[in-house]
Amino acid sequence: MKEFLNIKNLSVSVDEKSIINNLNLKINKGEIHAIMGPNGSGKSTLSNVLAGKNGYNITSGDILFCEENLLDFSPDERANKGIFLAFQYPVEIPGVTNINFIKTALESNREFQGLDPLKPGDFLKLIKEKAELLGIPEDRLKRQLNVGFSGGEKKRNEALQLMMLNPSLAILDETDSGLDVDAFKVVADAINSTRSKDNSMLIITHYQRLLERIQPDIVHVFVNGSITESGGPELANEIEKNGYERFSNG
Amino acid sequence: MKLKKMAMKDLAMVNFLNSEKLDYSFDNLSSFMDERAEAYRNFKNIGIPSKRNERWKYTDLKNDIRDIDFSLCKTLIDIKTDSLDKIDISEIDYFNKNKNDYLKPIQYLNDEAIIYLNLSYSNLFRVITIKESPDKPILINITSDGKGMSFPRFIFNIYPNVNVEIHFFNGGGEGFINQLIEFNIDDNSTVNIFRVNESTSIHSETFMTYLNTNSNLLLTNLSLPKNKSRFQAFNSFNGEHSSSVFKSVSIPFEGCKDDFLVYNTHIGSSCSSNVGMRSILEKGVECSFQALIDIENKVKNSKAEQDCRAILLDEKASMNAKPEMKIFNNDVVCKHGTTIGSLNKDQIFYLNSRGLSKLRAEKILLQGIINEYIPENSPLINFLPENYK
Repeated sequence: MKEFLNIKNLSVSVDEKSIINNLNLKINKGEIHAIMGPNGSGKSTLSNVLAGKNGYNITSGDILFCEENLLDFSPDERANKGIFLAFQYPVEIPGVTNINFIKTALESNREFQGLDPLKPGDFLKLIKEKAELLGIPEDRLKRQLNVGFSGGEKKRNEALQLMMLNPSLAILDETDSGLDVDAFKVVADAINSTRSKDNSMLIITHYQRLLERIQPDIVHVFVNGSITESGGPELANEIEKNGYERFSNG
Repeated sequence: MKLKKMAMKDLAMVNFLNSEKLDYSFDNLSSFMDERAEAYRNFKNIGIPSKRNERWKYTDLKNDIRDIDFSLCKTLIDIKTDSLDKIDISEIDYFNKNKNDYLKPIQYLNDEAIIYLNLSYSNLFRVITIKESPDKPILINITSDGKGMSFPRFIFNIYPNVNVEIHFFNGGGEGFINQLIEFNIDDNSTVNIFRVNESTSIHSETFMTYLNTNSNLLLTNLSLPKNKSRFQAFNSFNGEHSSSVFKSVSIPFEGCKDDFLVYNTHIGSSCSSNVGMRSILEKGVECSFQALIDIENKVKNSKAEQDCRAILLDEKASMNAKPEMKIFNNDVVCKHGTTIGSLNKDQIFYLNSRGLSKLRAEKILLQGIINEYIPENSPLINFLPENYK
């Protein structure tokens, strides 16, 4: 399989506090990797660093994405190159309608790829299809972006953006948190439907239940800013049963 | 100072400033002359307001109009309506009203020199009586030409059960415009105002509003001053279940100044007031937001909100916010909040993470702030500066 994302010896600090320590992680095209770890282990820092958020000091290492150094690119360039971060806490943006925002984002992605914007009719048809899959009512598309949305509605909206933008690498930062049982199934199945041999996913989660619906190829245990163990889906079962004690002590 | 000298002259100058038609009316309506004389005396006692002696602390009007010629500049008022059968437009109708009605501003605001100034020297009167709901908005265009001063004054008398939309446009001039607009809104009526201020003169505009039972006043204001500008409103909720919503977007031009003040006085019970301002402050501009919620002790079940948000895009831009509350009972739901700062970095990152460049993200966020008050279907949308549409 072609190497897609290659994180080499990455160390990251915030305000001189080390958060990620000498991390190495390779994700090939078409693979789904899951990262599980206790609170404060640096999982969200990793997702933010991959997406290019400011405020993190990369003290060493490289992140290669499609053989280019990701650290050379701004967050929007990374997004247009195919990296998508589904936020743990999506922000509210008053005055910007959900549908206009998604249309603008899609146009930006297509422009970067040298494609013409979708025709308005085609865009509407596409977004309505995806919204229906996620159980998002049409009127929510016309509401202001995430404003007044419940936690679950925000997560569904992140999933909608993921489905519309169809990125080559999706980073899901605790997308399953805040969802009730029914919503969880809908969102997980919708995300699973985007799986293909051409795109990859990095799923950050606390719960094995998400990995039952989106079967990962590899599960990593993330403790104190680095991967302490990697394995198959059975590793998620063990964590669900016994917690992180064995990995923390190791 | 030229204006100060003028203020010390006798009432003959007041007559000189008014049209022959009004002079004629003076002869026949001595009570009006008395009122005018009283306003003039009050103004003489106070003089041109400065920061020290006026409620409005952020505009030094005395300093601002120091160099303006005290002569009347040419000011045009153009009123367009398709419903002349439902609306009376007159220059002198209000003389026939009860004297106490006319005196409301003086009784209500006994220290507002800027209002006395208008009352003393008003040179352009329009009294607009709306008896039935017009089918289309009333369009009022006020433009000034050249230097000097002008004191336009409007009185709107809204009959019961009327719904009316009024569009005001202010523009032009190089001098000083002091505009006074009074609204007497009768029971069960709603007035929806869209106002654009593109004035190139120093512009002061005062709304005096009296709301009767179950009446509503809505204002959406787009202020794009090219000089120093102030808008002030004094809303008096006299009847129960009356309400107002004032929303203002302020985007002054480089180096300009814009002040927005709304005082809401709840006199009747079960009334609601809502005031909000959104400012985008670029190179060297200064904005002010001042809002008062005043609820008397016998007034029950009031709701009142104040909300100010300003985005500073330049180190030399500044925003003053002064929320005030005078609440004398517990039967009130009241909210206020002010946010002044730069664009939210988390919001910018969120948009970046979807492929939008920093510039594009900033533009979308600024448009979003404006769209909260001026959505795509607003009549004001076409007046927005090109980069915010």
